Amino acid sequence: MQILAQLIASGIAVGMIYGVIAFGYQLTFATSKTLNFGQGEALMLGSLVGWTVVAVTGYLIMLPIVLAFGLLQGAVVERLGVRQAIKTKSEAGWIMATIALGIIFKNLAENIWGRDALKFPSPLPEAPLSFMGVNVLPMEVAIVVGALAMMLAVEVFNRRSIYGKAVVATAVDRDAAGLMGINTSLVITFSYALSSMTAAFAGVLVAPVTLTGASMGGVLGLKAFSVAIIGGLSSGMGVVVGGLILGITETLTGYYISTGYKDVPGLVLLLLVLTLKPAGLFGRATIKKV
Amino acid sequence: MVRAALKLGLVAALVLFPFVVTSPYYLHLLVVVAIFSIVALGLDIVFGYTGEVSLGHAALFGVGAYTAGVLEFQFGIGFWVALPLGVVVAAGFGALLALPALQVTGPYLAMVTLAFGTIIAILINEMTFLTNGPLGISLTKPFFADLREALPWLGMSKPRMRDVEYYYVVVACLLATLVVINRLLASRFGRAFEALRDSPVASDCMGVSVYSHKVLAFVLSAGFAGLAGVLFTYSEQYIAPNNFSFDLSIGFLLAVTMGGRKSRIGPILGTMVVVFLPNLLADIELFRIVAGMIAAVAVVVGGIIAVRAPERRVYVAIPVVLCIGFLIFALWLPKITDYKLTVYGLMILFVVYYLPDGIYGLIRQALLRWKRAGAAQIVGSGAWSAISPDTVSGPLLELRGVVMQFGGLRALNAVDMTVMPGTIHGLIGPNGSGKSTMMNVLTGIYIPTAGEIRFEGHSIAGWKSPAIAAAGIARTFQNVQLFGELSLLENILVGLNHTYRGGVADIVLGLPRAAREEAAARARAISLLEFVGLAELADEEARNLPYGKQRLLEIARALALDPKLLLLDEPAAGLTAPDIVELLDIIRKIRDHGITQVLIEHHMDVVMALSDIVTVLDFGQKIAEGKPADMQADPAVIAAYLGTSHIEAA
Repeated sequence: MQILAQLIASGIAVGMIYGVIAFGYQLTFATSKTLNFGQGEALMLGSLVGWTVVAVTGYLIMLPIVLAFGLLQGAVVERLGVRQAIKTKSEAGWIMATIALGIIFKNLAENIWGRDALKFPSPLPEAPLSFMGVNVLPMEVAIVVGALAMMLAVEVFNRRSIYGKAVVATAVDRDAAGLMGINTSLVITFSYALSSMTAAFAGVLVAPVTLTGASMGGVLGLKAFSVAIIGGLSSGMGVVVGGLILGITETLTGYYISTGYKDVPGLVLLLLVLTLKPAGLFGRATIKKV
Repeated sequence: MVRAALKLGLVAALVLFPFVVTSPYYLHLLVVVAIFSIVALGLDIVFGYTGEVSLGHAALFGVGAYTAGVLEFQFGIGFWVALPLGVVVAAGFGALLALPALQVTGPYLAMVTLAFGTIIAILINEMTFLTNGPLGISLTKPFFADLREALPWLGMSKPRMRDVEYYYVVVACLLATLVVINRLLASRFGRAFEALRDSPVASDCMGVSVYSHKVLAFVLSAGFAGLAGVLFTYSEQYIAPNNFSFDLSIGFLLAVTMGGRKSRIGPILGTMVVVFLPNLLADIELFRIVAGMIAAVAVVVGGIIAVRAPERRVYVAIPVVLCIGFLIFALWLPKITDYKLTVYGLMILFVVYYLPDGIYGLIRQALLRWKRAGAAQIVGSGAWSAISPDTVSGPLLELRGVVMQFGGLRALNAVDMTVMPGTIHGLIGPNGSGKSTMMNVLTGIYIPTAGEIRFEGHSIAGWKSPAIAAAGIARTFQNVQLFGELSLLENILVGLNHTYRGGVADIVLGLPRAAREEAAARARAISLLEFVGLAELADEEARNLPYGKQRLLEIARALALDPKLLLLDEPAAGLTAPDIVELLDIIRKIRDHGITQVLIEHHMDVVMALSDIVTVLDFGQKIAEGKPADMQADPAVIAAYLGTSHIEAA
């Protein structure tokens, strides 16, 4: 029983990370119906840039720098990989282009930071806290709080500020928003920037617990996509629940079956959800118009 | 003639290659090109034709490779058994991969294939008892027939004999792949793949089931990947899980896109580039020279465009700057091999933006321009005649209390309607009254919430679109749904899909039945095009047609189904006056062929001139039904269209 509680506790932390990255997928999908296939690489870059900066400045000053870097990186991805493909309505175009950018980022990171995993210094004490026999790392608590805070911040921004309303308007109806004088292509760039920023933030959150390195992104990005699908690409609540489901399933699989198979349940879940209920467990099916 | 000579030349070159180039290194490189080409050609079925991005082909390739590896390693079963088994096992996995394709397309399916690939990679790594895990499997190349004594003048050593033999096996497989794929893609299956990419809804309504054809595309594609996998295992004599990574899937996609989708030459050209690229990248000097040349060409071309068309300066500046940046990058790099993947990525970006049709696409365009001059004249083959439907007594179509509910909106509310055979039945009503919903319910795009639909006495409520199409209901669409990249003739041929009996095997083996059916279908297709007056444009791509002609083509395509009932959804919308006259004439002729029609239309003159009986809908309910003239005078109908005046209402 105690082991189970312990596994669930670590599963929650992992799941929140998936949730934040999945939230990033939702941001770009809402405004442009496109996704960044290199989302995992955005996380990885954020984490590695954070690793370099944190040695100089310490954790608190590093955060805004990484967030700014994430914004910039997302905007670059949109300009280079997505904009032209949206114009020509080429689905294969943006899929391939964002994949290509992801490959380039990963390869550059390998050459800059090396291929080995790096230890990210933890800003919080590394001694576990004990709640009723369940050990929880302070950093794991920080992950949950940080992830929720980040999603909340973006949501509040979108709902309260006039710029956020432009984002929401574009998400609801891009053409109508354009006719109302909203620069929708700028909004799309901005949504990519926000999306990469949340991913970069997730990167520095998770790095102290796991390790960081050039190859950390790929699987995280894919599993976060599972979460986005399980939760539904349009449901904010869905990604949190989906993230938790996946995170907990994984730690359980890792413990009870084998760590080698730990990535499998998330992917199988993705295949099952897409086969049986493609709108996601929390999303609503759309009516196709002919 | 030229084509046949080219093909013969290609085969001769492949046969003679081992005698001309005696370096084992280049022989092996060519084997690898041939093997990867088989995967790329198979991938093109899914990527080029059905338009789905697959990131799982490396895994399917791995499934084939490991089938061979495991058979040899665990059971001592050799090459000739592994070859067909590898194809079958991989094809099975392809079918599994296609299951989610029932529900999803585009980015979702791409992610599904990526997840699938990752799962396979994990399984290969973890199932040590079967696959020997990360250690990999070693085996030796098969040795088929020792010809050194029979043909001493070859003067070959035993290892070289072995390599040359294997080279021929691989080349034979490549040629077989080419023949099979060529035949399949030129057949109704190739057309169906493209049709479901351009308009899935229309495919289903033409009786070409999107789902079963997508599964077929994945199964075929996976089968070729499996074949290549088996060949790869025996060619390399060692396989390990990391041979079949995500990067390899990207390599295959790059090969197909760069070489040129929807062709046989394209994927092979692309594979050559992708395989030789690492060799190019191994030599930093050569790489710098190539980068320099690219930058020079970019500057010259960019300069010319900037002078001639100043408004495009910004657009052109980006690639020029990128190319110069690339040169600087090349000069700065101490070692190139570490940056192989970056170069890959840059190439994909370049291809996506500036070479979307690939290398062969450029060549093909140039060839087409040259060919246009002497385009062949198409000869008609007699007038189109409908297979006249049996005259049934009683109604052809009967709706009883049909309800269609979307959330809180009732788009159709207990509608009754009876369509008598041989008539033209008008269906009118203001915008949003439920006319198009009715069409979608009748063709199985929506499943009605309640009520009964009887066609020729059978209940068809709840049937899927392809089944309804097969039963004899054809339709056109309010927003034209043509297969844009197919020619006019091919659009009609998709509608004629139901006339074929031969399956995949007939086509692959080139049986006479396949050729006979194809010829008959083509003759019928041309006569249908003549019927709507589009025969001269038979080879034009449908998307290039003017709007009015597109509507006529849709009608001809619907007629190809040999329908008993034809549903026309606003056929006159957006047509010019002379076009409408032509349309009226065609609709009358269709009626004279004995085909019943339901006509949705906003042009009242069209409805009044054609309809035998008119049903009027408003807010999902039937408000009136009767002869056209009576409907024009009916106060409820007038109220629905024009609103009631307050005085009258009071």
